[in-house]
Amino acid sequence: MLSRRQFLLAVPSAAVAAGSLHSFRMWAAEEPNVYLPGEDGMIVRSERFLDLEMPPEFFNSWITPAPHFFVRNHMHEPSTVGVESWRLSIGGEVERPLTLSLKDLERMPSHTVTNTLECAGNGRAFHQPHVPGIQWQKGAVGNARFSGPRLRDVLQHAGVKPTGKHVMLHGLDEVPGKVPPFIRSIPVDKALDGDTLVATKMNATALSKHHGFPARALVPGWIGAASCKWLSEIKVLDKEFDGNFMKPGYRMPNHPLKLGESLNVEDSHVLTALNVKSVISSPLEGATVKAKVQQVRGAAWAGEANIDKVEISTDGGTSWQEANLGREQAKYAWRLWSYVWKVPQSGDYTIMSRATDSQGRVQPATVEWNPSGYLYNAIDQAKVNVRL
Amino acid sequence: MFDFKESVYIALIAVTTLSCRLLLAQSPDLPPGSVQTKVTTACTECHESRIILQQRLSKAAWTKEVDKMIKWGAVVDSADRDGFIDYLSTNFSPDKPPIKMPRSVSQKK
Repeated sequence: MLSRRQFLLAVPSAAVAAGSLHSFRMWAAEEPNVYLPGEDGMIVRSERFLDLEMPPEFFNSWITPAPHFFVRNHMHEPSTVGVESWRLSIGGEVERPLTLSLKDLERMPSHTVTNTLECAGNGRAFHQPHVPGIQWQKGAVGNARFSGPRLRDVLQHAGVKPTGKHVMLHGLDEVPGKVPPFIRSIPVDKALDGDTLVATKMNATALSKHHGFPARALVPGWIGAASCKWLSEIKVLDKEFDGNFMKPGYRMPNHPLKLGESLNVEDSHVLTALNVKSVISSPLEGATVKAKVQQVRGAAWAGEANIDKVEISTDGGTSWQEANLGREQAKYAWRLWSYVWKVPQSGDYTIMSRATDSQGRVQPATVEWNPSGYLYNAIDQAKVNVRL
Repeated sequence: MFDFKESVYIALIAVTTLSCRLLLAQSPDLPPGSVQTKVTTACTECHESRIILQQRLSKAAWTKEVDKMIKWGAVVDSADRDGFIDYLSTNFSPDKPPIKMPRSVSQKK
């Protein structure tokens, strides 16, 4: 498999060789900025459906402000959500089906979880061969404080029957055409975990519309798709939900596939917790730097595990030095890290970052290709030119 | 009963939604080709053009995508299916350079 650096270098070269670059740029010229109220400096992967990526320079804050927090929509956001009229129904394998209003949720004890939420497809653009989907690079991820009642408390009001094995989460996404509705389920054990929430707040303020107002699930440490937005229905099931976004969507092959091979759904498993991963936020890929002492910075996260260490290489992976981990930490939250790089001389360098977590997982040099480009977590790289 | 807080919120959402609709005009055109208009009509009914512009797929992968989208409601005449696949796999093939996506701004200049 090509490394990302090879890929970044190879793709334009191939296009030039094919004589296609000029004509391609005729219609795909760089676009002007896009006006989006409340969203500043985000990479607009799509306006409709809205998909916004956080650029690397915004990894500089342990808590990601809402305007910098990535937005992933599979379909249209709800066109109207009334504060007073919104309801959350809880049914299925429960003793007492019930319906809650936002005020009902606000009367329940609130719990706060600082969680790094990452889209399963973050880094999809780096897979070779390319796979379909939003071409996220580094920033379909953010770290925020989510608050609201525990899902466990909500479910206990309804009384989960012994037959209840999975909890289905359904939001108010507006479905275009014949697209299957965005519905997912999580095992009842994860639903009853004390850190799984019906979140109504993000960073101590009401969720924004793009992030799921008035309530979303927060399934900490798991892929972002588990944390359904605009939550309207919770249904306890006797088995895992098997709609499109559980099967064949959001599944990984049980065994490595050949490049370009299709997923055999019967030999696959549904995605749950995130991988161990680090990214470099500074210096930026392609930057020219002039100082003899460089601060290399970034973030690292590991889903339900903790980050044990982040190592940096500036010599192509021959030697590694440990970075300093930031003071701020919480279960499920990323660690910011920094490394003081004393540059020996001018030249071209490739800075690499590699995280290790409390489960002993180490960021790999390359990842196994999968047809949807999920869970990309290869060692991160930033190629820089130093002129002293 | 009239609820001022809720009305204000619904109005805000309506304005946001309208803003997004108005912004659709900014989505770039798909490249010229014999089925450009048909592809634009069929695909942008549900999503904007940038979702297509950022893909770099083989003909086999585009075939799967077109068939999935037809299954999901894209209106494509059966006589046009192969033309769609040819158009998309020619213009958005793996050898094309990646496109640079725009940034968002929260204030109009």
